[in-house]
Amino acid sequence: MAMQRELLRHIFKKAATLRYPFKDKEKVHIPSDFRGKIAFYRDRCIGCSMCFRVCPAEVIEMIEDEKGKRPMFYLDRCTHCAQCEGVCPTKSIELTSQYESAGTDRTQMILK
Amino acid sequence: MSLEAEQKLASGLKELLGDRVSDIKVQRARSIFVTVKAEDYKESIRRVIEKYGITHISTITGADSGPTIDVMPHLSHAGTKITFKAAVPKTAAEIDTLTDILPGAVMYEREVHDLLGVKFKGHPNLARLVISDDWPSDVHPLRKEYKVIRPEPIRKT
Amino acid sequence: MPEFSVIVGPQHPALKEPESFTFWVDGEDVVRAEVRIGYAHRGIEKAAESRTYIQNIPLIERICGICNVAHTICYTQNVEYLYGREIPRRAEYIRTIIEELNRIHSHLLWVGIAGHEIGFDTLLMYVWRDREVVMDLIEEMTGNRVSTALMTVGGVTRDITPELATRLRKGLDILEERTKYYKKIAAGESTILARTKGIGILTRDEAIRHCAVGPTLRASGIKSDIRADDPYAAHDEVPFDVITSDTCDLFGRVVVRVYETIESIKQVRYCLDHLPNGPIRIRLPNTPPRGESLSRVEAPRGEDIHYVRSDGSDRPARYKVRAPTLGNLAGLVEMLTSKGNYKVHVADIPIILAGIDPCMCCMDRTARFIEPSRNKEWVWTWDQLKRYKRRSGR
Repeated sequence: MAMQRELLRHIFKKAATLRYPFKDKEKVHIPSDFRGKIAFYRDRCIGCSMCFRVCPAEVIEMIEDEKGKRPMFYLDRCTHCAQCEGVCPTKSIELTSQYESAGTDRTQMILK
Repeated sequence: MSLEAEQKLASGLKELLGDRVSDIKVQRARSIFVTVKAEDYKESIRRVIEKYGITHISTITGADSGPTIDVMPHLSHAGTKITFKAAVPKTAAEIDTLTDILPGAVMYEREVHDLLGVKFKGHPNLARLVISDDWPSDVHPLRKEYKVIRPEPIRKT
Repeated sequence: MPEFSVIVGPQHPALKEPESFTFWVDGEDVVRAEVRIGYAHRGIEKAAESRTYIQNIPLIERICGICNVAHTICYTQNVEYLYGREIPRRAEYIRTIIEELNRIHSHLLWVGIAGHEIGFDTLLMYVWRDREVVMDLIEEMTGNRVSTALMTVGGVTRDITPELATRLRKGLDILEERTKYYKKIAAGESTILARTKGIGILTRDEAIRHCAVGPTLRASGIKSDIRADDPYAAHDEVPFDVITSDTCDLFGRVVVRVYETIESIKQVRYCLDHLPNGPIRIRLPNTPPRGESLSRVEAPRGEDIHYVRSDGSDRPARYKVRAPTLGNLAGLVEMLTSKGNYKVHVADIPIILAGIDPCMCCMDRTARFIEPSRNKEWVWTWDQLKRYKRRSGR
C-alpha cells in the first residue's frame, strides 16, 4: 500500500485537537481582519444611510436619536458580508474579530 | 481594443443568413448577439452550426420582455460566444426545439419550459426540471406577472 | 428478465446533496438511469430581480459555498461589462489569486470526497488536513475560510500587503509538496486504480455531443478551458497549461484535477511575483446603462455562464445563471448506462456520481421550496416561506 510510510510516521505524533472551549481558547488563531461581529461608533456617523442601501439582509434600520439619523443593527440577520463597512465614508462601522455570537434571545441581539 | 476578428465573424454570419437576421451586434470582445425571427430560428442556427462546425451550446436563456418572451441560445465557437435571440408572443409561446441539431440543449429547454412556459415543438421529454410536480401547471414563476411580495417582519423585537 | 428499479435519493449516504436518481438494474448491472433535480431550488434568479446590483453580490455568492469566487467574479464582471469600463489591473490580479486559491480548495476537497466514496477514508482524512492550509490562507486574505466576499462592482475590497504575500508563499510551498505526494499516490495506489480505471466512461464523441464542461470534458481528451479560450481577469497574461487526459474514465478525472491543482499553485506564485501597482477599485454609479451582457468563467467544476439584462434602473431586469453541473448532467446519465461491453455495476454508482463533482445547490438555484414530509404536500410561495423563516426564529 502506497501510503504505508506516511501512516507509520504519524502513529506516535500527538493529536492536533484543541479542547476548545474548555481550555486552549487562547490557542485559537483568529486573523486581525476577520469578518466577525459588527461594532458601531456613534460619534463618527453622519446619517448618510449608505449602509442601509447596500445591506442585502435587511439588518440595518435607520432611526433618529438626539444627534440625528443613525443605523440600528439586527445582528441575528447579519451575514457578515462587510459591505456596510466598505461603503461607510466615515469608518463608523467595523467588523471585529469576535466570533462567538451565539445566543438564545433575539431581542438581546440588537445593536443600538 | 480592436474587435476585428469579431467584426469579421459578424459579417460572415450576416452574409450566411441574409435577411433572416434583423440585427447583429458585436457587444464586446468575443461576444456577438444576433436577432432573428421565431420562424427562422431553427434554420438560421442549423446553417451557422453546419458552416462553422459548432458543437457546444452553453445554455438557453428565457427572458420576459413584456408582451413577448425572448428565447436566447448561447453557442460557443472557438472562444467566441454567439447568442441568437428570437421573440415569441406570451399568449402563444411556442418555438422549435434544437435537440436534433444540438443534443446538449435538452436540459436547458426543459428549464425554460418549466420556469417561463415556452413550449419547444419536437422535444423528446418536456418534463419538469426544477419545479416540484404538484406546482400548478399554468403558473410560471419567472414571468413578470408573478409578483414576489417581500413581507414585513412579524416580530421585530 | 424483469427489470428492477432502485431509487437513490433524494437523501442518501452516498450523495452529498439532494438529487433523485432512479436506476433500472438487471442483477448487478445498471441498464439505464433517470435524474430528477430541483430539491435545492431557492429562487435566486427571481430574487435577484428585486434587489439592487450591490445587494445582489452576497446573494450570488451564496449560490454555492465552494464555487463562490467563480460566481461572484462572473457577476461583477458581467455588470462591469454593462458599464463598459475596465477595472484596475491590480484588482484583476487579486481576483485571479483568490480564484486559483479557491480552485485548489475545491479540488483538494474533491480528492477527499472521491476517496471517501470508494471507501478509502485514510485518503479523505489526510487530504482534508492539507486543505486546512489553503483555508487558512483564504482566511488571512479575506476574513473567512470559505465565503470570501472580496468582490465588488468595480474591483476588489481588500488589498494584499507584502507580509500577506510572504505568508501566502509559505503556504503554497507546503501545498505543492503535499499535492505532489498525492499525485504519486494516485498513480501508484492499487486500490484507487482498481476502483477508477475503466469506470464511468464518457467517450470523446459522447462528451462533445452532450456538451460536457470542465474536468469531465478534459478527461475525455478535449482541450477546452475558458481561461485559455475566452480569457478574463488576468488569465491573458498568466501562463498555465490546459490539462487533459485520454483515458475518458474516472481515473482521468482524478488525474486532471490533481494536475490542475499544481498548475493553480504555479499561477498564484506568478501573480504574487508580478502584482502590478495601482488602485484596487473604481467607483461606478448605481445604475448601469441599458443593455445586456454575457460573461463566462472557469469554475472548478466547469464553465459557468451568467446573463444580465438592464433596463436602466438600479435593479437587474433579468439575471440568469447556468452553473456547470447542469451541463454535465446529460453526460452523467450517459455514463450510468450500460452499453455493449461497458457494464455499470451498482457498486460503482457513488463514485461515478462523485466523479463529475456535482454541486446540486449550484444547479438548482431557482426558487421553489417543497415540503413532502408528514404525509402532507404543500407548496409555499416565496413570501410564505420568508414569513415562516422569520416566525420560527431562524
